[in-house]
Amino acid sequence: MLFRRRERATPYLLLMPALAIMAFVVVIPLGFSLYTSFTGYRLIKPETISDFVGLRNYQRILTDLEFWVPFGRTVLFLTVALNIEFLLGLGIALLINQVTWGQRTLRTIMMFPMMFSPILVGFQFKFLFNDNIGVVNNALQSLGLTGFAVPWLVDGFLAFFSITFAEVWMSTSVFAILLLAGLFAMPRDPIEAARVDGCNPWQTFRHITLPFLMPFAYIAMAIRSLDVARAYDIVKVMTAGGPAGRTELLWTLIARTGYENSRMGMANSMAYVSTILSLLFTWYFYRKLVAARRYMGGLE
Amino acid sequence: MNKIIAALVLGTALVAVGGTSMAADDWGKFDGYTLRVKLIGGAQYEPLYAEIPKWEAATGAKVDILSRKNHFELDREIKQDIAAGTLDWCVGSNHTSFAPQYGNIYIDLNGVVKPEVLAEFDQLALQNSTVNGRLVQLPRHSDVSNLFYKKSLYEDQANKDAFKAKYGYDLAPPETFDQFKDQAIFFAKAPDFYGTQYVGKDEAITGRFYEMLVANGGALFDENWNPTFNSAAGLKSLMWFKELYDAKAVPAGVLNYLWDDTGLGFGSGTVALNLDWAGWAGYFNDPANSKVAGDVGVVRAPKGDGGKRSGWAGSHTFSITETCDNKDAAASLISFLTDHDRQMIEARSGLLPTRTQVWKDVKAEFEAAGNAFQAMVVDTYSLSMAEDAFTPPLIEPWVEVSNVIWPALQKGILGEMDPQAALDDAAAKAKLVMEDAGYLK
Repeated sequence: MLFRRRERATPYLLLMPALAIMAFVVVIPLGFSLYTSFTGYRLIKPETISDFVGLRNYQRILTDLEFWVPFGRTVLFLTVALNIEFLLGLGIALLINQVTWGQRTLRTIMMFPMMFSPILVGFQFKFLFNDNIGVVNNALQSLGLTGFAVPWLVDGFLAFFSITFAEVWMSTSVFAILLLAGLFAMPRDPIEAARVDGCNPWQTFRHITLPFLMPFAYIAMAIRSLDVARAYDIVKVMTAGGPAGRTELLWTLIARTGYENSRMGMANSMAYVSTILSLLFTWYFYRKLVAARRYMGGLE
Repeated sequence: MNKIIAALVLGTALVAVGGTSMAADDWGKFDGYTLRVKLIGGAQYEPLYAEIPKWEAATGAKVDILSRKNHFELDREIKQDIAAGTLDWCVGSNHTSFAPQYGNIYIDLNGVVKPEVLAEFDQLALQNSTVNGRLVQLPRHSDVSNLFYKKSLYEDQANKDAFKAKYGYDLAPPETFDQFKDQAIFFAKAPDFYGTQYVGKDEAITGRFYEMLVANGGALFDENWNPTFNSAAGLKSLMWFKELYDAKAVPAGVLNYLWDDTGLGFGSGTVALNLDWAGWAGYFNDPANSKVAGDVGVVRAPKGDGGKRSGWAGSHTFSITETCDNKDAAASLISFLTDHDRQMIEARSGLLPTRTQVWKDVKAEFEAAGNAFQAMVVDTYSLSMAEDAFTPPLIEPWVEVSNVIWPALQKGILGEMDPQAALDDAAAKAKLVMEDAGYLK
């Protein structure tokens, strides 16, 4: 009897180290930060960690436009950046897939932007888009295309465009690489069958290639949505969320609240509300991934 | 001959031994001890750290540099150390603007650093390093801004005549902020040339606004810590920025500028006037980097309506933690890093030292080398440091207050809000911050 009970416990015992590590690395930090979101914890005053304030931090942010406007802007930023990255990544992958000589070199070159630190990318584009001494304005003015200095990092629309441009420049290759992997894995038979049936190149792409690539695209989107929802470095360097909050995203706001203002309790409550965004996007892309695989007759 | 050589060798050896012994006496002996430090990193700060091996050789101690980051990252790391209770290091780089927020983690250096050593520092710099009556930091070098200008613009007779006809007074480097604004608008020909520029975000623009507010006779807070920067003086200060922006006398992207942008902008030759730190002087006058080299003048920062010059100042400093296990060694190191010879190294690179004797000695060096411009820079900045410099309020929530002021300034300048309404809104938010921090009931 005892032996059988011991036998039943063996799998749990074997799982214990893994569960303990998971608890130490994931559950405890998450639980701690969740707890602090219900406190008035200030980073520079460790004793405030016991100042339990209940739901006050959440009540404050849920009724504060200065939180919801960056929240909405982050959703917009995510949507615009992911769509552009997908379209550009798809184009690059299709082009590289056609190359028969030097493809490996091209794939390596394509990955260069990903190798830069986001902070470096931020500085690079901050100086490119500088209105007075930046390359972009100097080129536009020298070519006679504009007679004035374009305020790239000040005008609301242009500043949003500039940070999106930097983000897209750095990360489009994630899409390109994953979609290229999809193209390499694609069987040739359906394409050849479509050609035999008289499909033109667009029809072949629209009805054969693209549906096959969509699961890869949704995986890339799920990964990138988590990245972009946490966008911080590039925006911090290029605009710091300004001017006048015009490019404020969730994480520039949360970092300022948590570190500069030392209000870690409030910052953690913002971070927990912001995880809703990541969960929603992940759930949405997962559903699309399952649907795309079902469409292709794959496993769910 | 051999005797002479032997005597010389012996003499040299004795001098070497004597020299080592003297240095060791000066800085103490801490054989086998490892001093753990966190220092600010960056090109202009690093040359000083090359001197640390000399201190190690003299004292027998080792210096373990745990961090070498820019000040904002270092600030973040120190806050994390406070939160995690891991202040297991001894010496940290500090700054007069950051120090008040750290509470009592750093010791009072009065009594730890010798009084005769402290007496050699600029007393205003020491006063600005004092928080709640405690000298929590030893100033390494200071920052205060003065006005660089392009000399040729002021020597041009056509400019002089046109300016006099338009404004009714002679064209000369500005003595007041009103003249500064007139001249910036007069010289501007956007997008090719701008009258001036300013830093437009973060604590940078809060600082500029603050110093102008004080120069105009205003104050950030009253004696009970109620925010008062939405006063008439505050509005006039904000309007100075806005009027220059609306007149296109500053680059359109100025609200996104920080120090690199203003420095590089003036060096590019496309800006007439530039209120900036001493550290840029060498760059501006270096023909290899700057298009205005040889054409740069510098005068003290202008006065506001209150008859006072702007003088927002801060010092890069060193502090010793309360938890340090060898405060004597720590005090020895920070005294070494701020002694006369070490400050001369930084002063030669254009940084503004905090020892008054170094001001004189480095000026003499520049003059002897025929570098009249740098000698003038030292003169102007040391005078301004001694007479005009003032810090932001040395209170724990300063950074948080700054974070409610600068977005409001941007809204006022861009016209997203009426300037007075923007200041009123910021004052209301600052009041909340002060209440939360316990300064207001």
